Amino acid sequence: MEYQKAAELNGLCNGKIVTEYLCRNGFSELTENFDTKKVAVQHKNETSRKEAEDESRLPALEAAYTTILQGLGENTDRQGLLKTPLRAAKAMQFLTKGYHETIFDVLNDAIFDEDHEELVIVKDIDMFSLCEHHLVPFFGKVHIGYLPSKKVVGLSKLARIVEIYSRRLQVQERLTKQIAMAISEALQPVGVAVVIEAAHMCMVMRGVQKMNSRTVTSAMLGVFREDPKAREEFLALTKSA
Amino acid sequence: MDRSKQKQMNQNENETDAAINGYFDGRVKIPGWKAGGGSGATGNPSTTVPSSSVMESWREERTRSLEDNEMSLPSIAAAYTTILRGLGEDPQRQGLLKTPWRAATAMQFFTKGYQEKIIDVLNDAIFDEDHDEMVIVKDIDMFSMCEHHLVPIFGRVHIGYLPNKRVLGLSKLARIVEIYSRRLQVQERLTKQIAVAITEALQPAGVGVVVEATHMCMVMRGVQKMNSKTVTSTMLGVFREDPKTRDEFLTLIRS
Repeated sequence: MEYQKAAELNGLCNGKIVTEYLCRNGFSELTENFDTKKVAVQHKNETSRKEAEDESRLPALEAAYTTILQGLGENTDRQGLLKTPLRAAKAMQFLTKGYHETIFDVLNDAIFDEDHEELVIVKDIDMFSLCEHHLVPFFGKVHIGYLPSKKVVGLSKLARIVEIYSRRLQVQERLTKQIAMAISEALQPVGVAVVIEAAHMCMVMRGVQKMNSRTVTSAMLGVFREDPKAREEFLALTKSA
Repeated sequence: MDRSKQKQMNQNENETDAAINGYFDGRVKIPGWKAGGGSGATGNPSTTVPSSSVMESWREERTRSLEDNEMSLPSIAAAYTTILRGLGEDPQRQGLLKTPWRAATAMQFFTKGYQEKIIDVLNDAIFDEDHDEMVIVKDIDMFSMCEHHLVPIFGRVHIGYLPNKRVLGLSKLARIVEIYSRRLQVQERLTKQIAVAITEALQPAGVGVVVEATHMCMVMRGVQKMNSKTVTSTMLGVFREDPKTRDEFLTLIRS
């Protein structure tokens, strides 16, 4: 049952254009002009994972990790590995805690009416996520900029939005877009820009093993997409010396 | 079935080798080392070698073969499917369809150190050279897995040794690091294993190993300290006894 809901949890919305925003973590074809009603419908959807359920799921996760350790040829009775299945299960739940939270909970209070129409940037937000293909971390920095349209958001809320979406099984492209869309929905700004630069351990520790490679993705919405000057200003301000 | 075979293998090893990758019981005894007593049963404590467990590591049995890998892949993949469900995800969605297999193969790669023996890697590359000055290979990138949380550890290893008429091919030092780091590890043990392996292979006058690493279990979760690094070192032989040698080594790896 819950897998039905989770089917759209973090995936493509079955290729169709989603008008009802049931898809909490998928690519959406929606524009930024949201119906507040539709947004409210989304936020009323239950999260796919409640914090209270985490405890009850631990035994299954622990058993799975024990199987993995044994399959790798390790001796699960040795001192260093005795509690490893439990620790690894809890660690994995922590690393995917973004599934608990909705944007609505995080942003609800911190939107303010300010007569400010200049670029607001929060940069160098450390981001840690898990590659959904190999279950191996990828981490890096997120730079977010938006041009408010009479409404500004508390600055730490931008970092919290990053946390919610990054603490999941992710693909960097999708993560970038989700952050941009969330800010769009919440504030209806003139434009939003998100740039993520990350190192993927699945490329560094295994596979091609290129230590210094970095992946950069960006999402430009609104005026950042249309006006090259705004985009330039954002990129110039986020370039680290 | 194959699990019981592995368990049996593990138990046999428990007899001779404290654990596949477990603690050393006691100290290391190196035959032929000085410090008054040489290779006696009771050498100088600072240069005595641990039990037979470490001496065996030179000749240790491979714990895992490629066939073992293939046979255990389905069960590891099934375990990952359970984990995905337990986390609230849908294993049937497009991005996750083959993830259990990819994750299982990745995990087997991250623990491929269990498949290799030092003796295979080093056997040919020990040369007699009349060189008795320090040899250092530094900034060897190292990737390991924390045995407590199954989360990556990565960093650099610096190795130095004072040869005693026998030198080792330089890439073999990096290969020794690979064998021991691609396992479920604890940084302290990793450092010691590298030092002991070189000691056993070459019987040099001394070995120094410094490992500097970032632990994702501290950065991504728990205390979440982004910039913290853990540094461990093992100094054996003349590196332990002579402060000047140790200083030279530490200065050279810093520059």
